[in-house]
Amino acid sequence: MRDIEVGSAHSQGPGVTKGMLQVGYLPEGYPMEIPVVIVQGAQDGPVMWMHGCVHGNEYCGAYSIHQFIRSLDSAELRGTVVALPVLNITAFQRQQRMSPFEGYNGGDLNRHFPGNPGGTLTDQMAHHIWQVFRKYADVHIDMHTAMTPDTRWALFAPADGPAGARAETMARAFGYENVLPTPLSILGGSSLIEGAKGGIPGLIVEAGGLGPYFSMETVADVAERLRNVLRALDMLPGAAPPPGPVTFFSNFAWITATRGGLFKRAVQCGQRISKGQVVARFYNVFGELVEETPSPADGVVLATGAGPLMPPGEIVVHIGLEPRAA
Amino acid sequence: MQSIEIGTAVSSAPGLATGYLDTGALPDGRPVQIPVMIMRGAQDGPVLWLHACVHGNEYCGTFVLHELLHSLSSETLKGTVVALPALNVTAFEKNQRMSPFEGYSGGDLNRCFPGRADGSFTQQIAYAVYRELKRHANFFIDLHTAMTPDVRWALFPNLPNESGRVADGIARAFGFSSTLPAPADILAGAAAMTAAQDGIPSFLAEIGGKNANFTEEAVSDAAERLRNVMRHLGMLQGLVTQYGPLTYFSNFAWVHATRGGLFQRSVRCGDTVEAGQAIGQYFDLHGDKAGEAHTPHAGVVLAIHSGPVMATGETLIHVGLDPRQA
Repeated sequence: MRDIEVGSAHSQGPGVTKGMLQVGYLPEGYPMEIPVVIVQGAQDGPVMWMHGCVHGNEYCGAYSIHQFIRSLDSAELRGTVVALPVLNITAFQRQQRMSPFEGYNGGDLNRHFPGNPGGTLTDQMAHHIWQVFRKYADVHIDMHTAMTPDTRWALFAPADGPAGARAETMARAFGYENVLPTPLSILGGSSLIEGAKGGIPGLIVEAGGLGPYFSMETVADVAERLRNVLRALDMLPGAAPPPGPVTFFSNFAWITATRGGLFKRAVQCGQRISKGQVVARFYNVFGELVEETPSPADGVVLATGAGPLMPPGEIVVHIGLEPRAA
Repeated sequence: MQSIEIGTAVSSAPGLATGYLDTGALPDGRPVQIPVMIMRGAQDGPVLWLHACVHGNEYCGTFVLHELLHSLSSETLKGTVVALPALNVTAFEKNQRMSPFEGYSGGDLNRCFPGRADGSFTQQIAYAVYRELKRHANFFIDLHTAMTPDVRWALFPNLPNESGRVADGIARAFGFSSTLPAPADILAGAAAMTAAQDGIPSFLAEIGGKNANFTEEAVSDAAERLRNVMRHLGMLQGLVTQYGPLTYFSNFAWVHATRGGLFQRSVRCGDTVEAGQAIGQYFDLHGDKAGEAHTPHAGVVLAIHSGPVMATGETLIHVGLDPRQA
């Protein structure tokens, strides 16, 4: 039996508790609050912290967490799930990645952990979330979508040591084939990496896609995979299904658009590509081809831009480097 | 061959001419220029005017026009195709329905025709475009997307005169089974209604969906239907595909959401619904089911909100009323 208090959600025993965590204020002075659901199991065990919509328009993550939470029965659960399905609530409302109220450089909440209580809006949101995350999380899952509906990959951290072994167990139990054991030198300021530096095994799930470009089939599939992670951690009864093939990478690379235009990708998520292979095509307003973008590396396509328009600076492709069967 | 000039696009011989039409100016003084494509056939004939992205984020139409124009050759074309693929270009750039530069009520460009030379930002776009449309167009087709990828419906202003009769023929040659012969008093300020009142047979197609939520198949299918319209109008050779009887309506109902939240639809476009039937499920931020949405009207679903999040006032559903085979 644990006493777990996240905002107004105060769980003191087995069962489901809901509330709101204040992460800031809106400009007119109303509180900026995010939803919290705590499911405490009948048996003691680890605290699984899961959150979604750190990027506001990655709604598939919130839907997946919701479906997973609805499926939990605290009588069967060993330990506690603390779920914050929507972190960047004002971005969520505006269908944006970052908050419309962030007026300064650095609106990507997932580059601001552990945050700063006297910093920018996004720094402060990160700080309020980090305080409770750091206090309670034994293991961590962060839900993302990348861009297109066919996105299916995962990252875990740390990559080694006992926490790394636990994180790898989570990744294998979740079961996406393409997985990055994430170096601590990248994605600084993300909850994954900052949590991992503090010894919290973590998993980022990229299950596509952005905005409305996801299906309820994907949501159901992801929710079941989350249950498999809990089975592998002995938080739910039953065995996780036998693991399938997994491909690890050494790192991931990306290209951003260096021109604007109408955009059509030329590759799909999961596809093996070679350096120089055309990954995308740009067209002008008259529909004339103006660029064929070559891949900078050999590897596996992890994510692509969706278009149909592409401003410079947006992601064209994420490529998993040096794939190896693991 | 008489010269056709629209902005800087000048066509005085068979083949493709491109250029830009000024529709206003930005706060820094630079002109707001929209692309113009003119495909001139070897033989003289009528002028078919098509435009897309009167609502900035309805990009499927842009790709349809590009595919159509690039499929034409002057040797086999009788008459001229004028295509403006990105009408509300500042909204197009920002992935919005309406321009970010519109500071007053009335940013829906498709409620502003014929426009005003000294009106709001959006009224001035309408004026600049309509002045050319009225001067040149013998037939007019307007491309939209509604919301979801399964949207497939059309309307034509059903005026009780020659232009209404010709528009009916265009609708049958385009062949979407859900087609509304529109009463003259709806959608005031829409380009199609305005042009029809000026004697130009007009047609509007909703080919889904919005933003990136459309497929290459939808684009190719629409381009082929437009070529079929051109065969019907005698602008291209070849047999006119007979799409068979269509389903006509008396009108369509535009239902706005009167509650907000996470939302998932439970009907598809083309479904027949009864008054009061459930059409989708609301969820709250904690993932609990929070009630269903219902259609107040019986008829055929023409468009439905895609989710995943919905504010009050957004379009919940468009329902075709009193369906009849025609």
